[in-house]
Amino acid sequence: MNIYIYDDYLNKPKYNRILSRVEIRLTDLSLNGKIIRLGAIRNVSDVIQNEIKNGAKTIVAVGNNQTVSKVIGAIIDNELYGFFQKNVLFSIIPIGEDNSIADSLGIKASEEACNILLARRVKKIDIGLINNYYFLNKVSLPSAGAVLEFKDGFSLSTDQKGVIEIFNLRSATNDDKRLKVNPIDGLLDIYIKTGKNIKDLTRLTADSLKISTASNELLVDGTLNLSAPANIGIVRGKLNVVVGRDRSFD
Amino acid sequence: MFNKEMKPEKFKDAETIIGSSVTVKGDFHGTGNIIIEGSLEGSLKTDADVYIGEKAQVVANIEAENATINGQINGTIKISQYLALGSTAKINGDVNFQELSVSRGALINGRLSSHGAARNKKNNSTDKKEVLPEEE
Repeated sequence: MNIYIYDDYLNKPKYNRILSRVEIRLTDLSLNGKIIRLGAIRNVSDVIQNEIKNGAKTIVAVGNNQTVSKVIGAIIDNELYGFFQKNVLFSIIPIGEDNSIADSLGIKASEEACNILLARRVKKIDIGLINNYYFLNKVSLPSAGAVLEFKDGFSLSTDQKGVIEIFNLRSATNDDKRLKVNPIDGLLDIYIKTGKNIKDLTRLTADSLKISTASNELLVDGTLNLSAPANIGIVRGKLNVVVGRDRSFD
Repeated sequence: MFNKEMKPEKFKDAETIIGSSVTVKGDFHGTGNIIIEGSLEGSLKTDADVYIGEKAQVVANIEAENATINGQINGTIKISQYLALGSTAKINGDVNFQELSVSRGALINGRLSSHGAARNKKNNSTDKKEVLPEEE
């Protein structure tokens, strides 16, 4: 059974038409399931746990990056998840803006997402963890004054203006195509870009690090603002995801 | 094989790149090829190859399989195979290698020793010497 979790902002009239088209496509493809609206429930984790117990095979986040963050956290923090992990798939139907995560997974458009769901091309991917929040795409922050400390006993810092991006998964459209990012290797891909036209590039990989920054601005998956200091790690192979062909990884 | 900066093609896809604006402090032990264009204080170790850029400032001991050095190093250098010093290399420390090439202009202030030479010397000393009869 498929569970579709609709974010609150989809209640706005401007999304009625696209939602209607998506629902018709899902019906045509015999992919109907149960619709759960986030605004109507208090504890997302409990609701998802019940659905998994009742045989839900695919949890689909219908919305944007923020929707994905809410749903992922609720799925993984679920005490049953470890037991059901190999049988439960996650997917996304992107609607509106801020959909870099869906883009990374090769899911570019709402109706196309339904076809991708039917095709059931599955990849087991890593998930990033920053303090108590999960992220799929990246954490970004200004580079000047930031210090990155690694458990192997070294640290990196720069006083130049630019950006630091800590990737689990790269957006196929939005992110710099120079960057090599692998979401199935158990490692975070860390890039520091400074200099004129951001030509000076630093690259390394790590499974965990601690960030301190004077600016205190950490942006998670393009939507959530957190304060430094922060501990960032990776949870390997934690999520079975339905992906499209045009994804940003193999 | 080598471009103008003496950067072998294999460094194009290095696992680790430290850009010119970044400072690394501590023991940096990586796997795969490493490029240093910035500053490093501590130690640098890899089982693969190291490229030190012209503007790099390294205060560290370095261990690698092969290395190409164009910048400034204060520390010992231990290379198990081939070490190439470019014309802008400035080394303050002892250097150990299997094979070495030094471009004109490189500055070295330290002892140079080859473990390849030591092995050859040991092999030569065990060779049997032919004894020729004395001429009457």
